[in-house]
Amino acid sequence: MYGTQSKRDLALEFQSQIPILRPSIHARRANLTVKFQDLYGFTVEGNVDDVNVLNEVREKVRQQGRVWWALEASKGANWYLQPSISEGQSLKASLKLSAMANAITLKRLIRKGIPPVLRPKIWFSLSGAAKKKSTVPDSYYNDLTKAVEGKVTPATRQIDHDLPRTFPGHSWLDTPEGHATLRRVLVGYSFRDSDVGYCQGLNYVAALLLLVMKTEEDAFWMLAVLLENVLVSDCYTTNLSGCHVEQRVFKDLLAKKCPRIATHLEALEFDVSLVATEWFLCLFSKSLPSETTLRVWDVLFYEGAKVLFHVALAIFKMKEEELIHSHHVGDVINILQKTTHHLFDPDELLTVAFDKIGSMTTNTISKQRKKQEPAVMAELDQRLRRLNSLKLDDK
Amino acid sequence: MATTGNKNINAKLVLLGDVGAGKSSLVLRFVKGQFIEFQESTIGAAFFSQTLAVNDATVKFEIWDTAGQERYHSLAPMYYRGAAAAIIVYDITNQASFERAKKWVQELQAQGNPNMVMALAGNKADLLDAKKVEAEASTLVLLLEAQAYAQEHGLFFMETSAKTAANVNEVFYEIAKRLPRVQPAQNSSGMVLMDRPAERIASTSCCS
Repeated sequence: MYGTQSKRDLALEFQSQIPILRPSIHARRANLTVKFQDLYGFTVEGNVDDVNVLNEVREKVRQQGRVWWALEASKGANWYLQPSISEGQSLKASLKLSAMANAITLKRLIRKGIPPVLRPKIWFSLSGAAKKKSTVPDSYYNDLTKAVEGKVTPATRQIDHDLPRTFPGHSWLDTPEGHATLRRVLVGYSFRDSDVGYCQGLNYVAALLLLVMKTEEDAFWMLAVLLENVLVSDCYTTNLSGCHVEQRVFKDLLAKKCPRIATHLEALEFDVSLVATEWFLCLFSKSLPSETTLRVWDVLFYEGAKVLFHVALAIFKMKEEELIHSHHVGDVINILQKTTHHLFDPDELLTVAFDKIGSMTTNTISKQRKKQEPAVMAELDQRLRRLNSLKLDDK
Repeated sequence: MATTGNKNINAKLVLLGDVGAGKSSLVLRFVKGQFIEFQESTIGAAFFSQTLAVNDATVKFEIWDTAGQERYHSLAPMYYRGAAAAIIVYDITNQASFERAKKWVQELQAQGNPNMVMALAGNKADLLDAKKVEAEASTLVLLLEAQAYAQEHGLFFMETSAKTAANVNEVFYEIAKRLPRVQPAQNSSGMVLMDRPAERIASTSCCS
């Protein structure tokens, strides 16, 4: 266990700040920037409108909590921990009608947000992390961290390099305790899967998992299920081939779902991967405000990696008019960065992501990935061969 | 590619180099005049823009600061494609980072824009006097090697320190001066300039 108490304190502190942060009409006119800590201990800098939005969001979170408690009262405690309908045919066949109805309710409910207090429990169960953990002895994580203590590998060196560079200034992550905890999770995982080892970007993902889950062990298992089951494989391995595949699929989807934007950006010679690569590798944790990121992750852990496409497309879609009137690559990036940094209202984003983008099944996306894989492999191979021939020339 | 219009030049610039060489720190120093010991690690790449006035033009740099970890190198072509300039950064106290820099030069010369203006930045020059004498000797050898390498491969070399700001603006300024003014057809090899190697080494001792 670590820091749960201080996390609760942060939440209280945040709540107590709300009345003080209510901006006056003068502050509005002056367009003042205010700085404060959000629910997860991140320092947020925003204008008065952002603060207003955050206040509304907090109220919505409370209301959403009440919906969950009411359902718990009528359907029984932990009703939501039943297996999801997407978990395979044999299961689907045996599902009772009521379970089906529950699954549909749950999907809708999760898109509207899991209350922060329920997140650790629900993520752990619905993502498959609990199941993954149950297949190994209880002492697995402890044994692993003990066994790797003091070992030095390229991965551990890179991790040590990145610890102070992971959300620097965060009230818990950027402390000796925070660094040590994050280190154990990342180093442990680097030994669990030596193909992945450690990839920059995972530091941000694991850090946010630590802030949400109650124990570092649960954060570890969330990281494991994310890399091994939720995301497309090879996103983080040697040449990031999985990530290249996702980017190609994303480009195709943008052309299909937002053709005006895609055409305009192409004319500007703007490759959308320039910005989207970080989104996919850090799962938006470096771009979106924390509560918005976690709302994306709520859906990610239940519906799978296709959610990342929904959200990335939504960010472009929301700024369609501005984007098609931009003339420079720099302007495009500024529009997108400003948008993501100020997306304090998760519903604004998720409504576009799921209602306006239209449905995409995991199946269709899998097919598109399959289609792109050979091209990615050929491209990566070609680059390697070119570089190798350069080395020979040099000698 | 550098594009001109009324002596306003837009130039895409990419920073490449080993992890921890100080690419992001150089950019932060140039763009915001700040130095932060622990900057967030860069994933993919980060974008910045900064305008610089040189004698005859205003250059607007569109800067791509790339991630240093080896596996991210497969993404690099996306960032250097169409770049008018590149700064290849290494850590002057780290031989391996210089080896990595050489590989980047090779790759850019083979794949990048043939008129690309390239700078080799030996960063962390402030560490030179902070280190012990024995350590300094190997660093000096590496510096001489880097200078020779730069000369041989048609880049210009500068020792920089993002921490003390030494030579940071100068690197960008030198690049701005060297960018092709009208058409990107000019031959850049005629404009190679070495940066007073001996003096540079001596002058770093005054850094604080």
